[in-house]
Amino acid sequence: MSQPGKYLRIIIFGLLMLLLAACQTPTEAGLSPAGAAGGQEQSDQQGTLTDVGTPRHETLVVQTFDRKSANPDQMNPLMQYAHWRGFRELGWGFLWETDTGTGESYPELAADMPEVLNPEHTRFRIKLKEGIYWSDGVEFTTDDIIYTLDTYFNEREKLTNANVNRIVNYIKSYQAIDRYTFEVETVNPSYDLHTVMGVYTWGSAFIPVPKHIFEKQPDVSQFRNTYPVTLGPYVVKEFDPNGFWQLWERREDWERSAWGWMGEPKPKYVLYKDFGPEETRVLAFVQNQYDVDTFMSPDSIKAAQERNPYITTFSDKMPYHNMDDACSYGVLMNQHKPPLDKAEVRWALALSLDLKEVGINALSGEFKASPLPMVDTRILRPIYFEPLIPWLQEFTLPDGYKPFDPNFAADLVARLAESGVPAEELPQGEEAISEAFGIGWWKYDPAEAERLLNSVGITKNADGVYTLPDGSVWELELVIPGDWNKVMQRVGFSIADSWRKAGIQVNARQVDNAEFSKVQNTNALLTTILNWTNCIFTPNYLNSWHSISLENLKAADATEPIVGNQYRWNNATVDALIKESKAMDQSDPKFRENGRAILQEFVKDMAYINIMNIPTTIPTNEYYWTNFPKQDNYYAVPYTWWSSFKEIVVNIEPTGRR
Amino acid sequence: MKLAQYIAARLGVYVVVLFMGITITFFLPRLMPSDPIENYIAQLQNQAGQTLSEAEVMQLRATLAELYGLEGSLFTQYINHLKRIFLTFDFGPSFASFPRPVSEFIWVALPWTLGLLTTTTFIAWSLGNFIGLLAGFFHNNRLATALEVVGVLIYPIPYYILALVFILVLAYIFPVFPLSTTIRPGPLTWSKIQMIATNSALPALTLITAGFGWNILSMKSLAYATKEEPYVTFARLKGVPPRKIMISYVFRNALLPQVTALALSIGMIFNGALLTEILFSYPGLGLLMRTAVGSGDYNMLYGTITMSIMAVATAALVIDLLYPLFDPRIRYK
Repeated sequence: MSQPGKYLRIIIFGLLMLLLAACQTPTEAGLSPAGAAGGQEQSDQQGTLTDVGTPRHETLVVQTFDRKSANPDQMNPLMQYAHWRGFRELGWGFLWETDTGTGESYPELAADMPEVLNPEHTRFRIKLKEGIYWSDGVEFTTDDIIYTLDTYFNEREKLTNANVNRIVNYIKSYQAIDRYTFEVETVNPSYDLHTVMGVYTWGSAFIPVPKHIFEKQPDVSQFRNTYPVTLGPYVVKEFDPNGFWQLWERREDWERSAWGWMGEPKPKYVLYKDFGPEETRVLAFVQNQYDVDTFMSPDSIKAAQERNPYITTFSDKMPYHNMDDACSYGVLMNQHKPPLDKAEVRWALALSLDLKEVGINALSGEFKASPLPMVDTRILRPIYFEPLIPWLQEFTLPDGYKPFDPNFAADLVARLAESGVPAEELPQGEEAISEAFGIGWWKYDPAEAERLLNSVGITKNADGVYTLPDGSVWELELVIPGDWNKVMQRVGFSIADSWRKAGIQVNARQVDNAEFSKVQNTNALLTTILNWTNCIFTPNYLNSWHSISLENLKAADATEPIVGNQYRWNNATVDALIKESKAMDQSDPKFRENGRAILQEFVKDMAYINIMNIPTTIPTNEYYWTNFPKQDNYYAVPYTWWSSFKEIVVNIEPTGRR
Repeated sequence: MKLAQYIAARLGVYVVVLFMGITITFFLPRLMPSDPIENYIAQLQNQAGQTLSEAEVMQLRATLAELYGLEGSLFTQYINHLKRIFLTFDFGPSFASFPRPVSEFIWVALPWTLGLLTTTTFIAWSLGNFIGLLAGFFHNNRLATALEVVGVLIYPIPYYILALVFILVLAYIFPVFPLSTTIRPGPLTWSKIQMIATNSALPALTLITAGFGWNILSMKSLAYATKEEPYVTFARLKGVPPRKIMISYVFRNALLPQVTALALSIGMIFNGALLTEILFSYPGLGLLMRTAVGSGDYNMLYGTITMSIMAVATAALVIDLLYPLFDPRIRYK
């Protein structure tokens, strides 16, 4: 044997040995992770095991919403961060919850809705359900409520959960009446106690903590509460100190938990795990390693579906995904910076935007447009959208032009059909098309946009580019997310492209998420930004619009942060309507009428170019679990990070596959 | 005496590099167009239903500025920063995970990054140099040429693509490795070591494959050139056995530039950490840095970058101090 051959054979043999050692099966290693079946172990008795050792058929596996946890052992709800990965859905309990199917609040820890004790709407009595127990067997009573409120008030300077500020500014006083009853007095007349001390859409500002645990801590702000005592039907069983996963186990006494009355949560275990970047997530999803994804891109979903028939989207018809998220995508403008201070210019931007083209290019047409600055959902449509359709159709700009395009959705469907989308995947009939793609949007009319711009002295030069009245080129900066939000990034580039085609010199600037927040919140930095905002889920629009007040306006280049009114909108009518609505019962028809009037003002001023509902792409893999919320089985929104997850874990069914 | 001067000079450079690095890392994050307080408030505002009133937002800003230690002039903050690092090795609390100290996060993440990347860097270096030596010394042998071709083919492939190919082939088509890292907590037992090895195998294999190509090519050229040197020819004519010629005459002399390259590649360890950790969901400093940038967490950035600077500077110092062992010219200069 020649010398090099000998050496090389030794190297190759060594490498093979290394490979074999690395490929040792989990059983040989005495542990569950990795090995066969792409990270899952096969056991004769229990069937497939997850990579954390639980039987796969008893474990619901969910892609985490917040990816890797930065601070995995921090489980103290008085401090920031202990919300994602199941705390909000499976661990904590709330006085009132939101039914995501209807938008209505319902009592969870409370026995009923708050009882109003005075005509000023400032004093309330709340009765708790009896027979609810913490996971360590101690009964939940008003002692826990009063202790939590005491802690909020006494430790407010040290607690970093921002909702502590919300509560201490909202509540004036509180007292226990008996073991299951307490009263609170609010600083101002309040009609939203159930969504401040209870859940509004995503979370609650008030999270009761167990007195018997917390009162023993010398400093609650330093207490991490790792492996917390919970009110929900699950407890943390194990978590990754590096923050990639967290495993919850159903309590033996789940019936005595905060929402045990809803029925038995079906999975014995719920595993939240970050399966990595989308490239590896798709592969893991195809291998049935997890059941529910969060915000997977449409392209990846299609690729996964082609390889695994158990992967489904929210609907088998376009636009395939759920459109009931509370927030929408839209363009925020600094209305104090010329030329954006003129309504004609803002309208010109809206009319220069070919939204059909944007939606097809960026999202393959899988979107739902909304001309009003609000999401067009099944809850909000009958209250705010349908009554305003006639007004939108007749609405004219000062020059007499009617900008609304009621045929937007039908035209979009026609274009999608032309582009090869199968007819059976497209909605049929006017109503179905409207429900799928929205009630309409603004016309794409660059000619009218040019007329509007010309009317304020902005004209095209010889190169076909718009110039300002002083002759300089109008350069518009559009801030968009970088790779950290690929869907918005694509939408942002498509918007910029559309505006450029119309002759507007746009610089689409991608920024990291930290800079994105600063641009959004600091007055001087903003020109235009593609944003997700205007989050309204229930008919109570004040949670999003409460800050649109004249007092919150600042100069165009003011360097201080914005305190509300991110639209930088100066509208006295709206200011008055908001103030009036704050003193109203939200079920009052006048409250909703005010909401519609505010929407009309938004449109008249084009104060915010609302674009579309956020396409919430949550594909599910029904190999191990079935009966997830779908378009034709809509018992809750399909999100795993909202109240809806409680309904999901109660309603899903095992398929029996092991 | 000359050797002592050499060591003293290297130590002096080491201290200056550390001081400059720590100073730059203090100011750089503050030039970033982000703000940890605004970032936190924006997160809250984006969580529907938790919209704070104007007064509450103002109050929260003031509270966070005080808690985060962002009050006072930049100079005051800088002096406090230096005092904390040099006196107590304290980087302060993480803003994104307040009040947990940054150093805690670093001590958790550092072993993963150092363990994986140091091991793979040395394996890739040793393997590449060994194959390169054989390919250069026995340049007419077909097997040696074949391995050289492998090096030439692999070297230009971007790491990201190479990693995805490995994932696709070895975790999806032939699922012998896990797609993402899952390591359960618990004491460091033999089973846990095996678990770590199993979960680290694919990232390690990718890093080694991506790393050794250059070493093959570089060492092959050096070995080929060195074996034509007159002192090698003289040794051959004198009847010195080929193995001794290869190891003692060719390898030792070709090694010096490669040792320098190793020092440089150790400096690249922390760059490599980011992509590896993202793609393989592998815990470590790279992901900590990425998260810190995304959330404007100044202190976490100070901590992770300072640790990187210290690690790289220390590695370079160690290599510098080892040089006299490899090169007698330094020893006897």
